[in-house]
Amino acid sequence: MKAAAFDYVRPASVAEACALLAGDGDAKIMAGGQSLGPMLNLRLAQPALLVDVTRIADLGRVEESADAITLGAVVTHAAIEDRRVADPTHGFLARVARGIAYRAVRSRGTIGGSLAHADPAADWVSTLTALGAEVLLTGAGGAQRRVPVEEFIRGAMSTALEPGEILDGVRIPRFSPAARFGFEKICRKTGEFAEAMGVAVLDPERGVCRVVAGAGGGRPVVIEASRGAGARLLERFADPGATRDMLIEAGLTGDEFKMRLHVAAVRRAVEEIRR
Amino acid sequence: MTTVTIEVNGKTVTADVKPRTHLADFLREQLLLTGTHIGCEHGVCGACTVEIDGEISRSCITFAVACDGAKVRTIESFDDDPLMARMRTAFSTSHALQCGYCTPGMLIAARDLVRRKAAEPDLDIRTEMSGNLCRCTGYAGIIEAIETVAAEAPAVPVLADGRWVGPAPGPGATTPPTAAASAATRAAPAPAKAPAVKTTPLAAPSRPIKVEVGPVTVENGETRFTEGFALDHPRDAVWALMRDPEKVAGCMPGLTLDPPTADDRLTGRMEVKLGPISAGFSGEGAFARDDAAHRMEITGRGSDRKSGSRASGRVAYTLSDATGGTSAATRVDCVIAFTLQGPLAQFGRSDLVRDLVARIGEAFARNLDARLRAPDGAAVAPAELGGVSLVLGVLFGRIRRAVIQALGRGS
Repeated sequence: MKAAAFDYVRPASVAEACALLAGDGDAKIMAGGQSLGPMLNLRLAQPALLVDVTRIADLGRVEESADAITLGAVVTHAAIEDRRVADPTHGFLARVARGIAYRAVRSRGTIGGSLAHADPAADWVSTLTALGAEVLLTGAGGAQRRVPVEEFIRGAMSTALEPGEILDGVRIPRFSPAARFGFEKICRKTGEFAEAMGVAVLDPERGVCRVVAGAGGGRPVVIEASRGAGARLLERFADPGATRDMLIEAGLTGDEFKMRLHVAAVRRAVEEIRR
Repeated sequence: MTTVTIEVNGKTVTADVKPRTHLADFLREQLLLTGTHIGCEHGVCGACTVEIDGEISRSCITFAVACDGAKVRTIESFDDDPLMARMRTAFSTSHALQCGYCTPGMLIAARDLVRRKAAEPDLDIRTEMSGNLCRCTGYAGIIEAIETVAAEAPAVPVLADGRWVGPAPGPGATTPPTAAASAATRAAPAPAKAPAVKTTPLAAPSRPIKVEVGPVTVENGETRFTEGFALDHPRDAVWALMRDPEKVAGCMPGLTLDPPTADDRLTGRMEVKLGPISAGFSGEGAFARDDAAHRMEITGRGSDRKSGSRASGRVAYTLSDATGGTSAATRVDCVIAFTLQGPLAQFGRSDLVRDLVARIGEAFARNLDARLRAPDGAAVAPAELGGVSLVLGVLFGRIRRAVIQALGRGS
C-alpha cells in the first residue's frame, strides 16, 4: 500500500523541530523511517505532518567525555556497525548493530529513532538499558533533561517523551577494557522482530553487573547486582529454573513457550560473560 | 507537491513529488526506471534495494522527498561497473535467478556486501543477504555466486571515512528553498486540535493498583484476555460506581461517552494510541446489568474514520467480595474481547497489545480507586497512562467540554 497523504518539513535545528512538533498535535518525527515507513505504507500510522530530523547537524554529533560518549540521535546502525563513531564498549555496540535487521535498513535506521519508537523487540531498547545509557531530551523552549533508558521506555511503543519533546542524543557510559558483554537474540528469521533477547554486562572495575531480558511484550526487565555481588548473581543463571524465577520476579510475563525463549536467551548471554 | 533535486544515475533530476511518494515509486513512475522492483512495499523483501549516497537502502520505505540533494543509484547504472559485471556473470554461471524479480535488489545488495566485507575471514553470506528474499532459487545458487565473487579481491574501494553518520544525504545536502518554503507554510500555527487542558487538582491522589492480565489469545480474529484487580472498598460502593456506564466510561482512558439517551443505548468515542498508531473509534454500544450478581456486560462497535478500520468488543465484569479481616475489599474480574478489521488489523503483534491493555487496565483501576476515595461530586483527574499523556490531554478536554455541554454551563 501507499502511505496516506502527509505534509513534510525538514527543520535545520532541534529548536525548529520542537516548535513544529508543538505546533501540530498530529505531527510525527521521522529519522531514518525504517520503522515508521512500513507503518505509514500499511496506513497503521497516518500523521498529518512528518518532521524529518535527519538534516539537523547536531543530531549527527559524537561527543566524547571522560566517562561517557554521546551519540546524536540520528547516528545510523550502519555507522556504529562500521565503527565510524566512537564506541565506549570496545566493540560491543558494533556487534549489536551488525545484527539489527538488514544492511539496507541499518544504513538509514537510527539509534535515537529506535529508542523513541520503543518497540520492545528492538536491539537498542534492551542493549542500552543493560548498558545503563541515558537519553537526552530537548523540549520546546530548549529545556533539556537526561533520562535513563530504563525509565525512558515505559512500555510497548511508549516512552517518557512529552508532547513537543525530541530525543536528541544517547549518552553511553564508558566501560573499562576488562568489561564483558553477552548478547543473545532469538528470531525466527534473521533480521526479523526478536522473540526474546538477553543482554548481560559485567564491568567489575565500574561495579556494574546487569542482566536484561528484552523483546517481551513491554519494557525490558533488569536484574542487577549491587557492587561486588556480580559473580554471585551470575552464578544463579546456571540453573534454568532459578533464571525463570528471577525473570518472573523482575516482572517478565509470557506464555510457557515465550518464557522458555526468554530463559534461553538470558542464560546464553550470561554464559558468554561467565566464560 | 514539493520540488526535489536528486542525482539519479549520474544525472541531476529536478521534479515535483508528493511527500508521500516513496523513492521506488518516484524512480519507476516518474523517471520510468523500472529496474527497481517493488515486492512487499514495507521493507521486508529487499526487491527495491538501491544505493543512496553509496549506501544500500530500501527505496520503498524511503520517501523521495527525503532524498532531496542525494545521489541515488539504481540497477540501470551498474552496466559498466566492474564488480557488478563479475557479479552478473557469477549469477548466470551459478543459476542464481529464475524469474528475476528479486535480482536487481539481490545484485545491488550482493555487490555492496562483497565491497564491504569480502576480506572478512568469517563472512556469513547467508546472514548478510537475509534481507533479500528469493522465491525461486532456494538461495543455493545465489550464495554460490556471491562466494565466487567474494573469493577474489574487491574491485572497488570501500566507502570513504568521515562521511555523515546519519541517514543519507544529511545536512550538507540540504537545498534550503523547498525546506524553508515548506516550513514557512507550516509555521503558521494550525488551529489547536487539543486545547490546552488544565487538569483539576486531584481530589484524591491516584495510587497504583496491581492488575493481573491473563494470556492474550487470538481466535477467529477475536483477541481475548482477562484482567483482574482488587480495590480497597466495599463491594456495594464499587458496584454503585461500576453499575453506571457513564461513570465507568469516565474512568476508562481514551473513552468518551455522549450524554445518555432514553433507550439505554450508549454512543461515544474511544481513542487508542500505540506509538505512531492512533485511532479514534466512534460508535455505539449497549449494556446489560445484573444487580443481584454484581455483573455487567458492555458491548460496543465503532469505526475509525481516518484509517477506515472497524472495531467491536465486549467487556464483562463481575464484582466479588474479597473482604478479609477488618478491611473491606472487592475483586473485579473482567473478560475482554475485541475484533479489529481494516488497516489497523494488520498490526499483528499480540504481545504488544497485551502490554497496552495492561497499562490501560492499570490506569482504569487507579481511576476507579481515586473516584471511590474522592468526596461526592469532586472532580478527579484521570490517571495518566504512561506515554499517552497527549491523548489523555485531548480526552480530558473532551470530557470537560462534554460535561459543560451536558450541564449547560461554562466554567
